[in-house]
Amino acid sequence: MSVAPVAVTAVSPRQPRVERIAWLALPGAAYLVVAFAVPLVLLLLTSVTRDGRLSLAGYAQFLADPFSWMVIQNTIRVAALTTVVCLLAGYPAAFALARAGGALQGMLLAALILPLSVGVVVKAFAWTILLRTDGLVNRMLVGTGVVDTPLRLLFTESGLVFGAANIFLPFMVLPIFAVVKLIDPRLTEAAATLGAGPLRRFVRVTLPLTMPGVIAGVAFVFSMSISMYVIPTLLMGDRFKTLSILVARSFLFMRDRSLGSTVSVVLLTIAVGVVVLSALLARRWQPER
Amino acid sequence: MMPLERAALVAMWTITALVVLTLLTPLVVTLIVSVSASSVFNLPPPALSVRWYERTLRLRDLWPAVRLSVALALLSTAISLVLGTLCAIALTRASFPGKTTLTTFMVSPLMMPGLVVGVALLSMLRELGLRDAWTSLLIGHVVITLPYVTRTVLASLTLFDFTLIEAARTLGHSPPRALVEVMVPVLAPAFLTSGLFAFLASLDNYPISIFLVDARNKTLPTLMLQYLEENPDPTIAAISSGLIVLTIVVLLVADRLVGLRRLAEF
Amino acid sequence: MAGLLTADHGRVTLDGADITRVPAHKRNVGVVFQSYALFPHLTVAENVAFGLQAHGTRASEIAGTVARVLALVRLADYGPRSIFALSGGQQQRIAVARALAVKPKLLLLDEPLSALDRKLRETMRMELGHLLRDLGITAIFVTHDQDEALVMSDRIAVMNHGRIEQFDTPAAIYAHPATPFVLDFVGMSTRLSGTVVAADGDVLVVDTAAGRVRARGRAGTGAAVLVAVRPENMRIGAGGENAVSLKVRDRVFLGSKLLVHFDAPGADQIVAEVPPDGAEHTAPGDLVTVRWSVDATLVYSAP
Repeated sequence: MSVAPVAVTAVSPRQPRVERIAWLALPGAAYLVVAFAVPLVLLLLTSVTRDGRLSLAGYAQFLADPFSWMVIQNTIRVAALTTVVCLLAGYPAAFALARAGGALQGMLLAALILPLSVGVVVKAFAWTILLRTDGLVNRMLVGTGVVDTPLRLLFTESGLVFGAANIFLPFMVLPIFAVVKLIDPRLTEAAATLGAGPLRRFVRVTLPLTMPGVIAGVAFVFSMSISMYVIPTLLMGDRFKTLSILVARSFLFMRDRSLGSTVSVVLLTIAVGVVVLSALLARRWQPER
Repeated sequence: MMPLERAALVAMWTITALVVLTLLTPLVVTLIVSVSASSVFNLPPPALSVRWYERTLRLRDLWPAVRLSVALALLSTAISLVLGTLCAIALTRASFPGKTTLTTFMVSPLMMPGLVVGVALLSMLRELGLRDAWTSLLIGHVVITLPYVTRTVLASLTLFDFTLIEAARTLGHSPPRALVEVMVPVLAPAFLTSGLFAFLASLDNYPISIFLVDARNKTLPTLMLQYLEENPDPTIAAISSGLIVLTIVVLLVADRLVGLRRLAEF
Repeated sequence: MAGLLTADHGRVTLDGADITRVPAHKRNVGVVFQSYALFPHLTVAENVAFGLQAHGTRASEIAGTVARVLALVRLADYGPRSIFALSGGQQQRIAVARALAVKPKLLLLDEPLSALDRKLRETMRMELGHLLRDLGITAIFVTHDQDEALVMSDRIAVMNHGRIEQFDTPAAIYAHPATPFVLDFVGMSTRLSGTVVAADGDVLVVDTAAGRVRARGRAGTGAAVLVAVRPENMRIGAGGENAVSLKVRDRVFLGSKLLVHFDAPGADQIVAEVPPDGAEHTAPGDLVTVRWSVDATLVYSAP
C-alpha cells in the first residue's frame, strides 16, 4: 500500500480573517462618531471660542458667578438625593423580585417594565396630579395621620426627588436584580457553616457580590437625574434651575449660545465623569474571571 | 429563622409593596383623570365623561405628531438593528486594540445628557446647511436607539456558542447560510427586546427632539409638553391614557413572544 | 446535620447535645460542598480566613492559622491568588482547608471528589483520608462511588430512599450485606431466587433453577427467598457443600482474574471469579460443576 505524500507547509496565522470581521463595526461606530462625538467636540470648541479666538473667558465668567454654583449644586444635590432614594427603595425590591416565585415574579416584573415603557412626559404629568395639595399623596399622608395638614409637594425639591426617584426606579431595580439572580445560594450556606450569622452573611458575602449591579444602577440613575429636563420642568416649574434647564433656557429662550455651550460642557463633563468613575468601580468590584 | 432575618424579610416585602404601589399609581390616576368630567384634576372625579377623548380627535396637531413619532421610531429602530447587530458581531468575534473603549463608546449615548447631544447636533447640522426637520430628527433618533440595540445584542452574542455555526457548516450549509440559520433564531429574542425598548425610547424622547423640531414637524412628546404648558387640561390625560393602553398591548405581545424575564434584560 | 435545612421531626444530637434547633452558624459543623462554594470575590487566603473572622479570632492569629492550614493541604503559597486561578483539585483542597480552619467538631463532605477526573480522585481520596485521620476529625462523607466508600471509611451507612439499610464496617458490609440492596450496591454477586423446601436447624435447603442449594438462615418451608454468593467464593470443580452443574455463557478476562458468567433464567445471575489459570473447560457452551461452602452463602426473603 502506498501512502499519498502529504506536504506540510507553514500556515500563516488567521489574522486577516479576524480583521475582516472587525470592519463590521465600522458603519455603527462611524455613525456615532459623526452624529454624536463630532457634534459634541464642536460644541466644546464653541465654548472655548470667543470672537474667533481660543478663550476660556466663557468658563471663567460662568464659574465666577455664584448663581452658576447654585445651579451646579442644585443639579448635583437633586441627582444625589434621587439616586439615594432610588437605591434605598430599589435594593430591597430587587431582592424581593429575585426571591419571588413564578407568577408573583411575573407580576412584579410587569409592574416595573410597564412604567419604564410609558413615556417620561406621561409619568411626570401623572405626578403633577398626585402631588397636588388635594392630590392622592397628601390625602394619604393626612389620612394615615403622618401629617396634620397637607404638605406642599409640588414645586418643592422633595416632591421633585420623590417623583424622579419613582420614575427612575426600574433603572435601579433591574440591574441589581440581574446580579442577585446569579448569586449562588450555596455561598451564603457555606458562610453559615463557617460560623457567620445572618448579618455577617449579608455584609461579607451578599452585599459585595451585588456591587456590580449596584454600580450599574447608581450610574444609570445618577446620569439620568443629572440630565433630566421634563421632570423638573413639570414638577418644579420656572423657579428651580438645574444645569439642564439652564441649557434649554439659553438656547431656546435666551438665545445665548455661548452661555448655552459653556453650561452644556459643564454638564457633559459631569456626565462623562460619572461614566468613567462607574467603569473604574465596576472593574474593581467585578470578580476576575 | 432568627428574629433579625425575619425583620429584614418583612421590611423587604413591605418596601417592595410600596414600590409597586408607587409605580402603578401614576398610571392608574392618569386613566381615572382621563374619564373625569371635571376640567380640574380632581380625584375622585365628580362624574365620568369621555369628552377629553373626543377632544383628542379634534386636535389638529395631534395626529400628525403621532404619525411623525411612530415613523421616526420605526425607521430609527430598523436602522439601529442593522448597524447595532453588525457592531455587536464585530465586538464579539474580532479582537482588536481598543475593543473595550469602542464598546463603552457605542453604549455611552445612553448616559449623556440628551439636551446637550440635541443642541450639539442641531448646531452641527445648521453649520452643514441641513434645515430639514424630518432628516435631522431621524439622525438624532438613530443616536438614541443605536446604544440600546448594540448593548442587548452584544450581551446576547457573548453567550452565543459560535461552534454551532461551524457545526452547521459541517452539515452542509454555506457560511452565510449557516450564520443566518443558526444565529437568527438565537438572536431573535435579543432583536425583539432591544427593538422594543429602542422603539419606546425614540417614541418617548424629548431632550434631543426639542431642538430638532420645527413649527410643522413636532414629535408627540414635544407636542404634549407644549399642551401642558399652554393649556393644561385632562386632554393630556386622555392622550397619556391612550399611550398607556398602547404600551400595555405592546408589552403583552412582547411577553407572548419573548417573555417578561427576557425583557427585563434590556 | 449542618443546620441548612430545618427538621420536620426527629432530633440531631452532637456530642450528647441536642442541636436540632440550633442555627447553622452556631453548630460548629463544617461543610465541604460538592461545588466547593468558594467565595468568588475573596482571595484564597481570605476564603480560608472567613470562618476565623466570623469566630472573632484576632487578626494576628488569623494569618498564622491560615498559613498552617494552607500548608496542610499543600497549597502554602497560594494565599494571595484568586480562586479562579486554581484547578479543580486545588479548589477542592481550599474548600477543605477553609472548613478545617475553624476546627469543626464534625465535617460533612458532599461528594467532594465527584467533579475531579479519575486519577486525581484516587490521589485525593488517599490525601483526604490521611488528613482527616491525622487531625482526628470526625467526618461524614456522601458518595455514589462504592470504591471511595470502601477505601476511605471506618464505617459505611448504605442508604436507600432515605433509609439506612446497613451501618457497618466496610468488611462487614461486603461480606455480610444485610439486604439485597446492600448486596447489589457493593461488589458483584451471584443471585438465585428459590423456595425453601426444608429447614434443618439453622440450615435451609432451597430449591433454585440451578439446583438445590443450602444456606444458613431462618425461614419457613415454602418461603420465597433470594440466595446469593460472592463470585470469589465460587470454585470450578466438584466436591463442595453446595455444588451445581451449569452451562458457561461468557468469559471475561480482567488481567489478574477471570470472570465466568453462566446461563441463568430470569432475574437470576451466576458469576464466578477464578484465577486465570484455574479455568479449564470453561469455554462458552461447556457444562461445568461449580462449588462453594454453606458459610459463604447468603439468604434473604425475596424482595
